[in-house]
Amino acid sequence: MRDIRSRVESRSEHAPGLFSLFCSAPELARTALPGQFAMIGVDGRSQPYLRRAFSVADADPGSGLVEFLVKIVGTGTACLGELVAGQEVRILAPLGNAFATDDLGRGERVAIVAGGVGVAPFPLLLRALAVRGVEADLYFGGRSAADLAYRKRIFPLVTGRELASTDDGSLGERGRVTDLLAREISAGARYRRLYACGPTPMFRTLARVIGDLGVDAEFSTEAPMGCGFGVCLACVLPRPGGGFLVSCKEGPILPPSAVDWSRC
Amino acid sequence: MSDLSVSLGPLRLKNPIATASGTFGYGLEFADVVALSRLGGIFTKGLSLSPHEGNAPPRICETPSGMLNAIGLQNIGIAAFRDEKLPALAAAGAAVFANIWGDEEEDYVEIARALEGAPGLAGIELNISCPNVRKGGMLFGNSPDATASLVGKVRKATRAPLVVKLSPNAPDIVESARAARDAGADVLSLVNTFVGMAIDPETARPRISFGTGGLSGPAIRPLALRMVYQVRRALPDVPLWGIGGIATLSDVLEFLAVGASAVQVGTANFRDPGVSQRLVEELDAYCDARGIAASSLVGRAL
Repeated sequence: MRDIRSRVESRSEHAPGLFSLFCSAPELARTALPGQFAMIGVDGRSQPYLRRAFSVADADPGSGLVEFLVKIVGTGTACLGELVAGQEVRILAPLGNAFATDDLGRGERVAIVAGGVGVAPFPLLLRALAVRGVEADLYFGGRSAADLAYRKRIFPLVTGRELASTDDGSLGERGRVTDLLAREISAGARYRRLYACGPTPMFRTLARVIGDLGVDAEFSTEAPMGCGFGVCLACVLPRPGGGFLVSCKEGPILPPSAVDWSRC
Repeated sequence: MSDLSVSLGPLRLKNPIATASGTFGYGLEFADVVALSRLGGIFTKGLSLSPHEGNAPPRICETPSGMLNAIGLQNIGIAAFRDEKLPALAAAGAAVFANIWGDEEEDYVEIARALEGAPGLAGIELNISCPNVRKGGMLFGNSPDATASLVGKVRKATRAPLVVKLSPNAPDIVESARAARDAGADVLSLVNTFVGMAIDPETARPRISFGTGGLSGPAIRPLALRMVYQVRRALPDVPLWGIGGIATLSDVLEFLAVGASAVQVGTANFRDPGVSQRLVEELDAYCDARGIAASSLVGRAL
């Protein structure tokens, strides 16, 4: 990991309170792997005191830009919401492990399941899968259409089908994205692997659905993090059978069986 | 390059900047961003006799200019530390202080014995001030009698330099300090975190599963500074290691001025992992520009 003094080169608004920051970080843009994350902060502020964790959404080695998708939920993200092009940010990265793609090849098919801002790590993953000739379906769910505003950016990267759902039916199917996935699978969709990122209830349901089917899966987990590199031990997740694993260090990409979702 | 060395009782440090227990892991996690050999010392995560799981999440919560934590001393246990981490730290040229804790006096004694003569160990820091475990921890720090009894027993069990980390939650920090010194502590470090609390107004539940947590970060700096000053005035002969929200060179100078011979950087390591080495470099430049030795900065406000 490196602590990079970076700059916001541009930002793009997807919906109120949902935006992307494009930061200059040439080395990170070359080396970041899909699923890895960064701790981002702004110097000289006492509030928020700690940095916040963000998936590397996308990375372009050509321009040296790295994209982070931010949804304003509290003081940390609100602080990033105030940033404009030209301002400095500190980026501690790359952190954590990555989605596995090396074992996949041409003609294979995978599913990506994203809940709301949990779509963040998937542009970079879609690019890595496309390079390998792997076809990916994206299941993208949220509470309402605004949660899916990022679709305009990510759908063009999807090599397979784009399936959307919202709790209120304002976009795509009405209902949960996990129900949508279960229906497609029972209708015959077959996936070599499933990649997922979203809120804990989504993981809990998904772990059950795919556990029943025996599909290989990787979840991009998250828990409130203090440091991002395994030191503060805040971001723990319960292991089946007791004890905890450290999400930022042992993850954030974990097989669903690594976590006792009933205790989350 | 200035003379940054400082002495604390039996300890001679290359500089007064160390990293505080619980905020620097086992040191090696920082190797990408900090040259461990540049630091005056590294205090490990609190170590127990057996590996310890810690508390259920959520374990931390950000607060104004700081944070609350109730990690609950999750650690790999003394044997794994001694056999796996310590040799690597020693190879990296770090001055390592093992922070140790237990439920009972006998646990501390046994850990101290297990560390006796371990290559690369610069000293032991007794944690009698963790507010986030149900047994042991802070209970030893909250009464001068309990402090004296524990420190005395560990003192007999080890020849290693003995640092005792005091609790700011004790009724009288000077009495705690006196008890620890009289029982054989070589150096006192102060302070650990202040017991605090945060509530989610929506759910009316504590933001940390343990209920209460230890407050750290710049929010506590003036309180910690006052306590170092108070102990230094009352006990001029005991070397002190100042801790509490230190994040800048100016903070370091403040603590040295009130009589700390060295400092430990804590919560700032989470926000800014390279901060400890940078403080060494900034202190070096500061002393260099003035043609002074770092030790001359100690006690200027007394």
